[in-house]
Amino acid sequence: MSAQKKRNFQIEAFKHRVVVDPKYAEKTWMILEHAIKEIYNHNASGLSFEELYRNAYNMVLHKFGEKLYSGLVTTMTYHLKEISKSIEAAQGELFLEELNRKWAEHNKALQMIRDILMYMDRTFIPSTHKTPVHELGLNLWRDVVIHSSKTQSRLLDTLLELVLRERSGDVINRGLMRNIIKMLMDLGSSVYQEDFEKHFLEVSADFYRCESQEFIESCDCGNYLKKAERRLNEEMERVSHYLDAKSEAKITSVVEKEMIESHMNRLVHMESSGLVNMLVDDKYEDLGRMYNLFRRVQNGLVIVRDVMTAYIRDTGKHLVTDPERLRDPVDFVQRLLDMKDKYDKIISLAFNNDKTFQNALNSSFEFFINLNARSPEFISLFVDDKLRKGLRGVSEEDVEVVLDKVMMLFRYLQEKDVFEKYYKQHLAKRLLSGKTVSDDAERSLILKLKTECGYQFTSKLEGMFTDMKTSQDTMHGFYTTVGPQLGDSPTLTVQVLTTGSWPTQPSITCNLPAEIMGVCEKFKSYYLGTHTGRRLSWQTNMGTADLKTTFGKGQKHELNVSTYQMCVLMLFNNADRLTYKEIEQATEIPATDLKRCLQSLACVKGKNVLRKEPMSKDIVEDDAFFFNDKFTSKFFKVKIGTVVAQRESEPENLETRQRVEEDRKPQIEAAIVRIMKSRRVLDHNNIVAEVTKQLQARFLPNPVVIKKRIESLIEREFLERDKTDRKLYRYLA
Amino acid sequence: MGIQKDRVRFNVGGRIFETTATTLANAGRNSLFGAMFDESWNLQTDNNSNEYFIDRNPDCFAVLLDLLRTHELYCPPNMSEKLLYREALYYGLLDHVRSAKWGPFDGNRLWLSRTVAGQAPGDGTAIRAGPDGGCCVAHGCMVHVYDWMLEEHPPINLDYQRVNDVGWLDSENLVVSVCERLGRGDGGMGLFSTSSGELRDKFQVSHENQVKSFTAGALSFSSDYKIFSSCKGRSNEYGIGVWDQITGKQTDFFYEPPGWSLGDADKLQWLNGSNCLLVATLFPRKDNCYISLLDFREKKMVWSWSDMGAPITVDEKRVRDAIAMEESNSICVVNEYEDLGFIDIRNSRGSSVRWSSRSKLMKGKMPDEPCYPKLALHEGQLFSSMNDSISVFCGPDWVLTSRLRRSYGGSICDFSIGGDRLFALHSEENVFDIWETPPAPII
Repeated sequence: MSAQKKRNFQIEAFKHRVVVDPKYAEKTWMILEHAIKEIYNHNASGLSFEELYRNAYNMVLHKFGEKLYSGLVTTMTYHLKEISKSIEAAQGELFLEELNRKWAEHNKALQMIRDILMYMDRTFIPSTHKTPVHELGLNLWRDVVIHSSKTQSRLLDTLLELVLRERSGDVINRGLMRNIIKMLMDLGSSVYQEDFEKHFLEVSADFYRCESQEFIESCDCGNYLKKAERRLNEEMERVSHYLDAKSEAKITSVVEKEMIESHMNRLVHMESSGLVNMLVDDKYEDLGRMYNLFRRVQNGLVIVRDVMTAYIRDTGKHLVTDPERLRDPVDFVQRLLDMKDKYDKIISLAFNNDKTFQNALNSSFEFFINLNARSPEFISLFVDDKLRKGLRGVSEEDVEVVLDKVMMLFRYLQEKDVFEKYYKQHLAKRLLSGKTVSDDAERSLILKLKTECGYQFTSKLEGMFTDMKTSQDTMHGFYTTVGPQLGDSPTLTVQVLTTGSWPTQPSITCNLPAEIMGVCEKFKSYYLGTHTGRRLSWQTNMGTADLKTTFGKGQKHELNVSTYQMCVLMLFNNADRLTYKEIEQATEIPATDLKRCLQSLACVKGKNVLRKEPMSKDIVEDDAFFFNDKFTSKFFKVKIGTVVAQRESEPENLETRQRVEEDRKPQIEAAIVRIMKSRRVLDHNNIVAEVTKQLQARFLPNPVVIKKRIESLIEREFLERDKTDRKLYRYLA
Repeated sequence: MGIQKDRVRFNVGGRIFETTATTLANAGRNSLFGAMFDESWNLQTDNNSNEYFIDRNPDCFAVLLDLLRTHELYCPPNMSEKLLYREALYYGLLDHVRSAKWGPFDGNRLWLSRTVAGQAPGDGTAIRAGPDGGCCVAHGCMVHVYDWMLEEHPPINLDYQRVNDVGWLDSENLVVSVCERLGRGDGGMGLFSTSSGELRDKFQVSHENQVKSFTAGALSFSSDYKIFSSCKGRSNEYGIGVWDQITGKQTDFFYEPPGWSLGDADKLQWLNGSNCLLVATLFPRKDNCYISLLDFREKKMVWSWSDMGAPITVDEKRVRDAIAMEESNSICVVNEYEDLGFIDIRNSRGSSVRWSSRSKLMKGKMPDEPCYPKLALHEGQLFSSMNDSISVFCGPDWVLTSRLRRSYGGSICDFSIGGDRLFALHSEENVFDIWETPPAPII
């Protein structure tokens, strides 16, 4: 078709376009653009909101939404560029203030622009999936102002500089800082993180790396920790004042890593101010600080705990194995208790009563207390001492405290049965000699042992108390019924002890003086008359007697002696001189006891009611003894003690050990049988493990002993070895 | 500066209105009034007359002012609704109008608010209620979208393929599933903008890292932003595909086990409480009915039921729709005579259907062109369509409490509840009805 032809037939297309003014959109946009300009120039008071809203509405309505939107982007970008220039031009310190001021203005302007363009925001933007006005304003601010080449690094440098200045003690404008940081957060968490937080954390890490290096060279441990704590608090405070709350965990972990984690070992082991020194000097405050700081880093507390444990074990081991300490059991135990108190206090005051520390302390004590095989004996002796005299005049609560502490040590013991043995001996002595301070305290301790170890452990101990009570009643009955027949024969007090409950030795009776024998026989017939089917035997090695004695010049004394000593002295009623042989023959007291008894009568200064020839410390068989006429004493009552080592002598000690070992055998066997009865078939290692587990509340059985017991049980046909697998045992019902 | 006194005087298109700032505050900050009275705008009245001039229709302003005063909408009979909506949009009060127009949904208080005639050439496929009162109607290869004002938006199609299902992700986005076209990679599933009708994303199925063309069937969405669809591919891709709503990427695929049907499913339903997907493949798409519950975390079919092997004489008991009711741990099914049945889902192997005789309503009077019944559940009310009516059942025993019926348009082929409205699509005239609960009474 030629151009000419076309012109001929040109027909004006019929259009339904109603928009009259082709420049309508342009004009309307000019009005809006002008308004935006006025808003940025703080000149909005002359603007009519209604008119602007209507104009924006009309543009959208007449399908000029796209023009409106792109116009907005262009004009806002333009204004932000202007703003950016003025911010860049700000000198030095004014930079941040200018930025802050402009940011506030932009926010206000943005709100007003959004008000005008509300209709577009509501209709055009969702349907075209464009960015809403408010978000657009933030994005443009970010891209045009914050990310402008001159501002971006300057802003970061300024912020970091301010933080550094604050760290070095300057006062900075925190309000301004907070506003700027808030701006970064408003622009999106990624802006905050990328433009500030990331760099902030890096710079902080460098800072604290240098600072901690400097501190550790110049400070002792306590001061270093003080400084680290202060820095940590400062950083947390900083976050609360002007950073995003989410930064707290990040910045504290930086400080923790640089100031604590990297120097942990060095701090703990620091010469003359490290952990061990703090422990020695009870520096609760420093220890608490160390705990709180080290708790923040991984493995921090493990290091503290390990060093503490090693130190406690070391000192504890030194304490229990020091031969100097073994001389005085009471002091030995007291030192243990003091040590425990010390660390309990440290853990409660400085270590927040941390369970893991308590466990470490307990396991350390358990470790070293059992290093000394005599610990059970010593603890029992300590109790003995306390109950004999130590607790006199002490209030009931304090008694409980002491007993509780003893129980705590008792818990650490592996050989609880050894303790039981000694405790029984010591209790027997206390009861028989009437030396116990308080029945309540005795019973209280037994109750504690019972709750700790069960009924079996204490049944015999309780039996001893029952015997004491029954004996009192028996004696009362004896004197009311038989009393009148006795005349002026010596007063006899009998304590009837149940066999088995008491730690009795096979009875070796001595010959009692005739005067005593008479009363004894009367008591025997009285007792057997009231109780049928019983047998009485005299434990002459355990009794005491009060003797009224007249020395030369008519001096009268009452001598408090043991039964053996009484027998010896009574011989001197009829003779002035007796040889050792004669005494031995007359009394039939076992030689060791007799020697000890004579030693205490003749060789102790101030108590020598007998005279020995020749004069020497030791008793030999050729010695001769005389009644010492010249004995004098200030006191009317004289107590002649028996020369007995308070602690057991070596052979006795061995004997107790042997008895304990002997007692363990049936217990181990019973445990093996119990286990095999339920399992039927089990291999050797498992039996040993199970038996150990079952018995460890009382003692730690020796695997060799367990093996012997198994063999014995096989011999007695309780068990048999499996025919094919020799490691397996079978229970024979 | 803000307003100093409570009284406000407007001149709207020449008519004077007086109201108070308190009343206007009901419009909210995000409206013309909220912005106008914000202190950043140094608001000035015109030439000493003490009024603010607004160049709009005074009649509509009166209605909208009353809406702000009473929270109720009263539109005079001679006023165009469309004009009112346009004015409301201008002031930023459209949401106020919508929430005042109809009340919270109650199946027993519904009244027919409008009937909209469609322009479909054939039978309707599905109608889906949108979250804010709009709806979309699918028929053949087209989906028509209506907003809550029942204004029609540009229609949607995906390569002009037959639509199987549609669903609203939110008020702005629709997912459409269609049949595939052989060899061209057309069809499948797409995401469309409801306002502009444009395709925004196309979902793909990958099998062994290769993108496959597929036919997408029934759809369901979960609250944790997943899309489920039954899929039939060329070879192995039979089963349920899972996509992420945000990224649009395929995240999972549940392959159909042998002897069981998933890819042909008619109905998917996401169960929030038990974290399972109900998949129902029903007669006559297949010869048998298969209903199963899938747990995607363990990739396990945790419950299943089928009428395979059931005696053929119970033909009338063919299940035509199924819906899970989590509160009562059961699945409700319906047959073509509107018998409701219930299956217990507490046993891992499906028990038998307990048909309820109480709700048996139709027998023998079938219309010439029957439609299969459909089920819906809304806040403890069960809805079932049958022929030209919808029945409402309530209570623990599902007693019939209401019936929605209209004599025009023929059988109901689909219905949907959402945005406090019920939409029913009729088969014959391709019209759909909008049922609403009226606003609360005055006293």
